[in-house]
Amino acid sequence: MQPLANITPIKPAARAGAVQLGGVGLVYKTSGQDVVAVSDVSIEVKPGRFAVLVGPSGCGKSSLLMMMAGLRHQTSGAISINGAPIEVPDPDRVGVVFQEPSLFPWLTAEENVEFPLTLRGVSKQERRAKAEEALQLVGLDGFGKRHPHELSGGMKQRVSIARGLVQDPPVLLMDEPFAALDEQTRMTMGDELLRIWAATGKTIVFVTHSLTEAVYLADEVIVMSARPGRIVDRLEVALPRPRTFEMLSGDAFGSLRDRIWRHIRKSA
Amino acid sequence: MKSSLAVKATRFVIVAMVFAVWELLSRTGMINPRLLPSASDTIVTLADLLGRPGVRSDILVTGAEVLTAFVIAVPFGALVGLLIAESRYFAEVAKPLLFFAFSIPKSIFLPMFILVFGVGFAQKVGFGFFSTIFIVIMSTTTAVESVKPENLMVARSYGATPAQTVWRVYLPSMLPVLLEALRISMIFNLTGVMLAEMYASREGMGHLIANWGENFMMRQLLAGVLMVAIIAVSFNELVRWVETRCSHWRT
Repeated sequence: MQPLANITPIKPAARAGAVQLGGVGLVYKTSGQDVVAVSDVSIEVKPGRFAVLVGPSGCGKSSLLMMMAGLRHQTSGAISINGAPIEVPDPDRVGVVFQEPSLFPWLTAEENVEFPLTLRGVSKQERRAKAEEALQLVGLDGFGKRHPHELSGGMKQRVSIARGLVQDPPVLLMDEPFAALDEQTRMTMGDELLRIWAATGKTIVFVTHSLTEAVYLADEVIVMSARPGRIVDRLEVALPRPRTFEMLSGDAFGSLRDRIWRHIRKSA
Repeated sequence: MKSSLAVKATRFVIVAMVFAVWELLSRTGMINPRLLPSASDTIVTLADLLGRPGVRSDILVTGAEVLTAFVIAVPFGALVGLLIAESRYFAEVAKPLLFFAFSIPKSIFLPMFILVFGVGFAQKVGFGFFSTIFIVIMSTTTAVESVKPENLMVARSYGATPAQTVWRVYLPSMLPVLLEALRISMIFNLTGVMLAEMYASREGMGHLIANWGENFMMRQLLAGVLMVAIIAVSFNELVRWVETRCSHWRT
């Protein structure tokens, strides 16, 4: 794995936004019973930071992300992005990257990336130009005409990331985007994401259940417990950037991962 | 899924062989030619029949019946299917009932259709409609279910309006299943109309075929069978061609 040293941010942190959650809770009813999915979560992610939400399955981390995206409504508390509350999906402020199968299979890679622009009636020429730029950014130059079934899992997720970035939103929300990938591809995609992040300066909130992935990517790891989902720990990852494969076997990395693991084992 | 030249050639050989065996069986007298006129004779008869104004008008009558039934049954069935799929409650209520209805052979209702509609155009269209409607409804609900929730979520997260969601997500997702439904509906529709014509009619292809059979006119009968088969296969292939063009992304 190459250390990615030759990176110069092409977009300053001005296009990054803050994410703030204050006392957010989510309660839903199943067969008459109240289920507390998320309880009293307060998070602040500063502009340009890479935050990772990690926790056992069922801890509500994905629900939390959906609420930040305006795709679900919290039952208590407030969520704001760039200083304004988020109530419905706002593609100007938030780009979302989902798990693998979210590309439209009948559209080509570039048409998939253009999709958010198509919805707003952007001219074909401008769409094409922006999609090309986004595909270039994620390293998919020349693959624009392919359909998703002609792309590997990793490439599909690159397309999803390009789609999330095409409108240049200050915040990128990512819901276990690499969960369906094999280990090697996953590592490569992690490095790719860090490169893209460095190049764009976005604020990223990333959900995963992989502890290694969490520590490797994050500036800050937020650890959640299961049922009800609440924050049990917050870690600053002080490892230098760019992150390298060698760090994975270092003591600093190990102790951070162990600390998260102890929380998760307790609550699982 | 493109078939190779070898596969196509083999297919052609099989069809050619069926005709060759047919020809041989009849020509050598292994099967009495009065029971099985030869393939070449049948094709000559077919050409002759197509030249007769009477037969042509029968083809037009059947065509009109089939088309009318189809044009009524497909949008109506699709609408009902959409309404059912729209609500989970309705879908749960209606689905087994549709399966019940679908499992009953439609032909047993034919006498009732004659009592209600007589033996004219309306009876054929009515019975064609009745034969088709259940499969259209069922296929449409399946088509709606084939829309992936992940794709709807993406549309929502990028601020799609309801109209955009229908046009850009529902329709393209459903199109392959809908086209397949269209094709299968036509098979049911054609079967229904032919059956109605053969059972009681004064005109139409089914009427001709039944008539030829009763009067032991084997050459005409086989020519008629060949003709209906060609028409049915042609329509089927046409829709299948559109299908493959629209759903190349399906794997």
